[in-house]
Amino acid sequence: MRVDPNYITNLAGALDQVQGNQQLLTNELSSGVRVNSISQDPLAAGENVLLLNQIQQDDSFTQTSSLVTGQLQVADSALGSVVTQLTQAISLATSANNGTLNSSDVQSVSNQIAGILAEVQSLANTSYQGQYIFGGGETSAAPFSTSNATSPAVTTYSGDSDVNYLQMPNGQKIQLNVPGDQIFLGSGSNNVFAALNNLIADYSGGKVNTQQAVNDTASLNTALNYLSQQRVTIDNSITRLTAATDAVGSQQTQLTAAQTNLMQADIPQVATQLSLSETQQTALEDVIAQLGSQQNSLFSKIGP
Amino acid sequence: MGTINSAFSIMSQALEADQAALNVTANNVANANTPGYTEERPDWQQNAPINIGGGINGMQIGQGVTETGATSQRDRVLNERLDQQQQLASASSARLSALNAVQTLFTPDSGSTSSSSAGDIGSDITSFFDSFSSLEANPTNNALRQNVLSTGSTLAGDISNAAASLNAQRTALDQEAAGVASQVNSLTSALAQLNLEIQSSSPNGDAGVLEDQRQQDLSQLSQLIGINQITTENNGLSITTTSGQLLVSEGQSFQISTGIVNGVTNFFADGNNITPQLASGGGQLGGYLAARDQDIPSVLNSLDQLAYNVSTQVNTLNNGGTDQAGDNGNAGDIFLQPTQVEGSALGMSVVITDPNHIAAASLGAGTGDNSNAIALANLASQAIVNGQTPSNYFSNFVTTLGSTVQQVQTENAAQNASITQLQTQRDALSSVNLNDEASSMTQFERSYQAAAQVFTMLNTIMASALNLGEQATVA
Repeated sequence: MRVDPNYITNLAGALDQVQGNQQLLTNELSSGVRVNSISQDPLAAGENVLLLNQIQQDDSFTQTSSLVTGQLQVADSALGSVVTQLTQAISLATSANNGTLNSSDVQSVSNQIAGILAEVQSLANTSYQGQYIFGGGETSAAPFSTSNATSPAVTTYSGDSDVNYLQMPNGQKIQLNVPGDQIFLGSGSNNVFAALNNLIADYSGGKVNTQQAVNDTASLNTALNYLSQQRVTIDNSITRLTAATDAVGSQQTQLTAAQTNLMQADIPQVATQLSLSETQQTALEDVIAQLGSQQNSLFSKIGP
Repeated sequence: MGTINSAFSIMSQALEADQAALNVTANNVANANTPGYTEERPDWQQNAPINIGGGINGMQIGQGVTETGATSQRDRVLNERLDQQQQLASASSARLSALNAVQTLFTPDSGSTSSSSAGDIGSDITSFFDSFSSLEANPTNNALRQNVLSTGSTLAGDISNAAASLNAQRTALDQEAAGVASQVNSLTSALAQLNLEIQSSSPNGDAGVLEDQRQQDLSQLSQLIGINQITTENNGLSITTTSGQLLVSEGQSFQISTGIVNGVTNFFADGNNITPQLASGGGQLGGYLAARDQDIPSVLNSLDQLAYNVSTQVNTLNNGGTDQAGDNGNAGDIFLQPTQVEGSALGMSVVITDPNHIAAASLGAGTGDNSNAIALANLASQAIVNGQTPSNYFSNFVTTLGSTVQQVQTENAAQNASITQLQTQRDALSSVNLNDEASSMTQFERSYQAAAQVFTMLNTIMASALNLGEQATVA
């Protein structure tokens, strides 16, 4: 049987292949990544896009939630201060209503409650990073203002009843704000500002219409309870957000692990393959050197 | 009796024949590395015997040998098989190198760093829609709005750059393909000329060196274009493309002409546009055309779909909300609104410069509202691109492209392995094996020496005959 006399050329081709393989393995070792081009593992490359997408989403949500948590905490602490102020107003009103105070003391109560009203209004106009957080969707201007043109004075709301939500990566929504009118200007006796303005009017001039003042104090008490209920919404959001951030964080850890598993080169395995490949290269080179040497040609054996 | 004289004649013919055989060996050794050279073997022919005595009682006496030339060790079927496989391998190899260039545009992001690597459209898509999610937290915040614009610009820039690179690759392939056509034309002219020479010099047998040249031209042609070979009378050859357009008819060649149609080079034979047939026909030309007319347009179309749908949907929602400046329902487009799917990727860009024109609030709501930002962020999870979410669409696109490249790689590897086998078979038969030549040379040398020796002895015998057994002057 005749053989191909050009087998050394074929061996050189095999040597090329081995070197190509080594290049690939070295590339994997240096980058630490198993899939350096999408054709190496198309399915992994596609899966990688989706995993990175989720990881990025989780990452982004974690950052956003820290921004939002700040805003919710500011809202909660503002409402906490409002509760303190209102409690003080109720105790002032109660002391004024029991008929033991003289005229100037009653006037002083009126003034102190007016101070509380100013304080509450300022808290209702709290802003966070340039946004008035109790203005609903109208966050660019202070939502509450009080006009003293009438008696009792009237506090008006220039915001709207818009509610913002933050959407979590799983699609659920967390309420980000409670509109100011819902908190401070509830209907009937749930209206904080009306109750305060009425009390100021009740005690102004040093005389007390006890019946009216008692009713208005009761209204303020009702309004305070109502406000506390609204505050619960904010607290719930903070709790949910914290839980969601934790969940997203642990999801991100899992996804990162999955992504690493998918894409990362198995270093010991690659190193072993590289070593095998090097052995093969040496063997091939030896074979080529051996076969290519002059002693293997019949012409070298026959002489003249 | 003329027997001693005829023995002299037999021996002198043998010496000539052995010399001729040694010439053949020398020629083989000399051409051992000539591309396309086919090993030749000397042809020996026994001379016709003569009949001494006549009739049925006569004696048949052999009259020696004549060396009648040399035959190339050729297997046409094997050669044609090799050519066909070469056409397939050249096509997949040209297509593979084009696809390899395409896939470098979509190198997978390792994800080892938190920031996305440059040019990764997959990360860009997520970053862009995430920027709307962040805007939910504080819809009036200028930094968050600016972030929407910058992530949008990155997305648009990366998609547009990828499309521009693909177009450039397409142009390069177009030029390569046009170059191949002119090489094909010069080879077919040469083949037609060779056909004429072969038909006139050796209509009935192997044409030796001329046949080697024709075979060499055919194998070069097979690297360039897919062909069919049809043997005609008098050792002629007709060549058509795989789809049947005549390139060479014995002594006549037909040129492939080129012309620009829709901005790309098209190929014509006999006035017919044969570009689509050539694309699936094989050879380098087939590979280039398959990449130019099928693979790259398909990738471009995928990017176009992505760019068109993302741009259109984002623009529609932005125009359906209220921006920071209070524009209700006419905030304007974020991306340049494409008029058609084709070319959307190349033309994708962010057209707004003022971040206040991002409509985070819903129609009629205060500027602090974030409903529209939620709606925009939700596009990321809606099936807005051909029934898939943008990320899923891109992921599937990457998998599809990767699989195509992998498939062509596998095809190419298999075809190359098959070529190696066929070449081994062909070379075993047709290539010059120096060891064989050494042994042949030794053999011919020995028989030359033997013939010379016989000649010397005949000389002695002749001298004895002339001297009739006496010592005389003739030695």
